[in-house]
Amino acid sequence: MNINTPIEEREFKIVGKSVKRDDVLEKVTGEAEYTGDVKLAGMLHGKIKRAAIAHARIKSIDVSKALAYPGVKAVLTHENVPRVLHYGSPHPRSASCTKDQYILDDKVRFWGEGVAAVAAISEEIADEALDLIEVEYEALPAVFEPEDAALPGAPLIHDVGPGGNLVLDPVRVNRGDVEAGFAQADFILEGTFSGGRPHPAYMEPNVCIADWDGSNKLTFWTSTQTSFMVRGILAEVLGLPLTKVRVLVDHMGGGFGAKQDCFQHEFLCALLAKETRRPVKMEFTRHETFVAGRARHPCKVWLKQGFKNDGTLVARDMKLVYDSGAYGSHGPGVTIVGTTAATSLYRCENVRLEGRCVYTNTPINGAFRGYGVVQSYYALDIQMDEAAERLGMDPADLKLKNVVRAGDIAPSGHPIVGHGLEICLQHGIDVLDWKSLRNRDRTPDPKRPHIRKGWGIGCEMHGSSAYPGIKEQGNATVKVNEDGTVTLLTGAAGLGTGAHTALAQIVAEELGVRFEDVGVIHGDTDVVPWDIGAFASHTTYLVGTAAKMAATKVRASVLERAAMKLQVKADELDLSEGKIFVTAEPGRFMSVAEAMGPSRGIPAANIVANGTYEPTKSYSFAAHFTEVHVDTETGIVEVKRVVPVHDIGRVIHPIAAQGQIEGGIQQGIGHTLTEDYVIDKKTGRSLNAGLVDYKMPLSMDMPDIETIILEAAPDPGGPWGAKGVGEDPIIAIGPSIANAIYDAIGVRFHHYPITPEDILKALREKGA
Amino acid sequence: MRRFDYHGAETLEQASRLLTDLGDDTFLFNGGTDLLVEIRERLRRVRNVVDIKGIPGLSDITYDETRGLTFGALVTVGRLERLALVRERYPNLRDALASLGSIQVRNRATVVGNVCRASPSADTIPPLIADGAFIHIYSRTNMRVVPLAEFFTGPGKTVLAKGEIVTGITVPPAGDNSGKAYIKHGRRKAMELSTVGVAVSLSMDDGVCSDIRIALGAVGATVLRAPAAEAILRGTRLDAATVKSAADKAMEECTPISNVRASADYRRDMVGVLTGRAITQALEASA
Amino acid sequence: MKRIVELTINGEPRDMTVETCCSLLDALRDDVGLTGTKKGCDVGDCGACTVIVDGQPVNACLMLAVEAEGCTVETVEGLQPGVDTLHPLQDAFMRHGASQCGFCTPGILMMAKKLLDDNPRPTDEDIRFGLSGNICRCTGYTKIFDAIKSAALEMEAARS
Ligand SMILES: Cc1cc2nc3c(=O)[nH]c(=O)nc-3n(C[C@@H](O)[C@@H](O)[C@H](O)COP(=O)(O)OP(=O)(O)OC[C@H]3O[C@@H](n4cnc5c(N)ncnc54)[C@H](O)[C@@H]3O)c2cc1C
Ligand code: FES
Ligand code: FES
Repeated sequence: MNINTPIEEREFKIVGKSVKRDDVLEKVTGEAEYTGDVKLAGMLHGKIKRAAIAHARIKSIDVSKALAYPGVKAVLTHENVPRVLHYGSPHPRSASCTKDQYILDDKVRFWGEGVAAVAAISEEIADEALDLIEVEYEALPAVFEPEDAALPGAPLIHDVGPGGNLVLDPVRVNRGDVEAGFAQADFILEGTFSGGRPHPAYMEPNVCIADWDGSNKLTFWTSTQTSFMVRGILAEVLGLPLTKVRVLVDHMGGGFGAKQDCFQHEFLCALLAKETRRPVKMEFTRHETFVAGRARHPCKVWLKQGFKNDGTLVARDMKLVYDSGAYGSHGPGVTIVGTTAATSLYRCENVRLEGRCVYTNTPINGAFRGYGVVQSYYALDIQMDEAAERLGMDPADLKLKNVVRAGDIAPSGHPIVGHGLEICLQHGIDVLDWKSLRNRDRTPDPKRPHIRKGWGIGCEMHGSSAYPGIKEQGNATVKVNEDGTVTLLTGAAGLGTGAHTALAQIVAEELGVRFEDVGVIHGDTDVVPWDIGAFASHTTYLVGTAAKMAATKVRASVLERAAMKLQVKADELDLSEGKIFVTAEPGRFMSVAEAMGPSRGIPAANIVANGTYEPTKSYSFAAHFTEVHVDTETGIVEVKRVVPVHDIGRVIHPIAAQGQIEGGIQQGIGHTLTEDYVIDKKTGRSLNAGLVDYKMPLSMDMPDIETIILEAAPDPGGPWGAKGVGEDPIIAIGPSIANAIYDAIGVRFHHYPITPEDILKALREKGA
Repeated sequence: MRRFDYHGAETLEQASRLLTDLGDDTFLFNGGTDLLVEIRERLRRVRNVVDIKGIPGLSDITYDETRGLTFGALVTVGRLERLALVRERYPNLRDALASLGSIQVRNRATVVGNVCRASPSADTIPPLIADGAFIHIYSRTNMRVVPLAEFFTGPGKTVLAKGEIVTGITVPPAGDNSGKAYIKHGRRKAMELSTVGVAVSLSMDDGVCSDIRIALGAVGATVLRAPAAEAILRGTRLDAATVKSAADKAMEECTPISNVRASADYRRDMVGVLTGRAITQALEASA
Repeated sequence: MKRIVELTINGEPRDMTVETCCSLLDALRDDVGLTGTKKGCDVGDCGACTVIVDGQPVNACLMLAVEAEGCTVETVEGLQPGVDTLHPLQDAFMRHGASQCGFCTPGILMMAKKLLDDNPRPTDEDIRFGLSGNICRCTGYTKIFDAIKSAALEMEAARS
């Protein structure tokens, strides 16, 4: 579809309403089955032996004692698993991946990497057997910082890829003429920015179960966002046709992006099951979700921008270096998306960007909500506040002046639809009476003079779909049953975002049946149509449109069928709330069930249709307004109030959309203030791989959030203009906090997390 | 997780024997909130645990005006936290109890276990030390009572010998015009292990501080007293300048380390800030 | 070492045969087959395993199954008052979007039940304090607070 297609307006019956989510009924009763709840007869338990060294060659590995341990059924090492080089992040239609992983290698590239796997009759026995595996290492020099890894002569972590520890060739984007831009500038701002290593810390630890049947077919339960990707890569690496791999995932306990790799333990689980001819379950400990899971890429950003005295941005020069960790995983995708994102947000005609992604001997970084953009927009948005300061302007005014507008070229290369960001900003300014907030009395409360208060704004835009990095495809199959109910088959994963409910709403709305009459089948790669996976905020946009297309087709067939039975022409009929009636004569009607069902001489109808949608991209927008309180004696920052204003086009399920925003804000407050997965810079060991020292904001830390959702810029590419919302909130909240801290205490921070120690140190340097 | 064997004891004597006879890697099992975590995270090698929860007489809580509060080894943090008596007379202890872990953890964790684990950051220890608590120790040969301040010998280390069991803790009663405070510092408001914890217990006599004890958590190998800071305060009216100089003194008296939770310098700074705040809060409470 | 443990689970007398080092959480999930209670960390940090034992909420991962001998254990599976009726909290969680991935939900529901049983009119602060041992990574808690407040009102209305 292109942007000139008008968005159909109609009076909605189901879309836009917060209908009850069926999946949630199972969740509140405890019946919902997650992968870890599955128990098969004779099931063994797998555990992984992890290296306690960051970079080494395995000289020898002796598993004889482990194999002899009572209850142990199999042990795998690099010596007895297939040696196939594969992608960790196998986006099947993306050109941007690097094949750099083996199931098990004779080399260790980070502290915590798996070097062997055991299957035993109980988890405890498997765990105990790990200690009996003797590994002799030849230590190799290790690098833990991208700066060090990029130095000439640095130890090389891989022999694939472009060399120099680069994961991919530098990503370069040039628009306009940057030098000419700087020449016109009245002043130039230049700064370096950096981001830590936040972890998605989904509540359900990674888990999978493998079971082979007598025909050599693998059934594989796993907690994944991308079951078809797992199917594809398992088949490729294990040398099986796709008919011999069936991936199942019903409910999953969160992913936030990070569960879209094919993980080492997934291959090992399948191989242990094959070796023992028994089902094998592998479940991460919480510690393993950190060490062997995926975190956000730490990033260093250098940003130089030229401004005119009227606030116009005339040049942007930016370099980003992402730390990939020991393997490529999503490094290429993140680098491309994060770098190209910086062409936009605030309009600038002359842009020069360079993004690099570098291997280090640290745990693997992968996809996490905000995918590279958290890092780049943190820099853009904070420097915009600095420019406002320099100009003596209210940052709100400068941002309003410069935010992207309809028709501007988006990072994807497409013109932007609608003035979404401008409208969000203006809306927040109005509802909060921003001017009076800026001009408020700033004298501290005499009873608590050490508490300083501040307000800040953060802006963002984010695409639904990974285009142009990946040419995406959404699929849906809709069947109408003979009793008038409808079955939707979708490959989209149920992460908990309410996507299946939204898809059912779309089908019901388009088809003209009741929401309760639509059932959703998902989570079985043998049954549902191919799906790219749940990521890039695209499920509603991409699969939603495919579902709508399929529903349009079945609707036409249902009307044909009814026309035959009612002896009229199909185009004389209409269908609403499960009733088919003659438009001109609403008294003449039949139910969908009557149309579908058998009658004398006519069997029941079989109506099935597929929808396939290959879109480009839409952009959602947000401006967050945030109040912080800073304790100038302890350095503790409390986020008190957040007013997030989002444009997500047509809202399908308001409560689910709000929930996405509030959850994203929690994670964003976390990475901006308290969350950082810390790797020891001397050894590469994890220092806080657990939920007490990895500090997510909890119930007592969360501010009041007053979510505002606008339908300001519906995108014709999504169902009735719907766009994504999953990733947006986590991007805008960070700079809004950093900017609010500046407003409170007059100190600028260019990094996250901003710790209490950072606050005290900066206040001291400022001479407060 | 690693397997271990479980032994339920019915008397102190039996528990004590099991602890000595089952050999190394045998540990007393109380609420289990430290022990089970250490087993699961492979921080401690454990072959046997000896559960004392079946031993009668270890769950009592008593109070009288002369001896003060005595509670047994099995008394959970949650149970003590919910007692009105503790809220009224030992507000410092009560704040420490209410800040320990979560409600769920507090329903299992015991105060005695928190003390016996001897973590420098344990929340219940600073207020108990500031209040001058002592600890009752059972042994098959000689029972003893030890001032809590003398109980710890290092991080995770106490004066307990193999087979000795703590049966309870006594906290002296609060005098008239006394004031108490415990301030825990962490980056979250709950589910935090203290980066610094400061407890203050003081008595005022006609506007003059007649006695004061300051205990500092998480800034040394054990919970520390700050005797020099206390000396500065004793006999003064606790005016702002004196409090400030005592707080500065406490910063000199502590010996923090750096780790992933905070740097030594930051911890030292917080000792200064929180000592000042805790003294002020205790003073207000004494009025 | 295995032992038979007799206890009452959701009102029914049960026995379970467990290794003495087995946690109550693993026993409930693997031996009794009540998988509603979740394991998010196994070390007391997340609250996903919260069950009510003899009237008090605890982390089932931090209790040994053998310690539950003679105890009364309530899990999320016992929350529904009848086959076709939901506890007001369950209903409110559905209506308010308080459950996204749902992994934290069973533990939070048990914690919220205990909170409302003890304190039928909790303040915002009471609710925040009551849930401080339960991590939810999806919702930002806002909708959970809404749901608990709304269930409290409904339960109050039903009583009067
Ligand atoms: C999620 C979580 C959060 C926590 N948060 C905090 C916190 O904020 N602040 C804090 O201070 N602590 C915290 N803790 C630790 C706290 O729960 C423990 O220190 C607890 O109080 C220990 O008591 P227990 O009965 O569980 O001890 P156990 O685990 O049973 O025992 C602890 C140690 O003490 C020994 N021991 C126990 N009782 C006796 C006795 N009678 N005689 C001799 N030795 C004995 C045991 O052998 C063992 O070595 C937390 C723990 C968890 C799991
Ligand atoms: S599983 Fe018990 S608290 Fe996390
Ligand atoms: S709903 Fe996913 S963790 Fe709470």
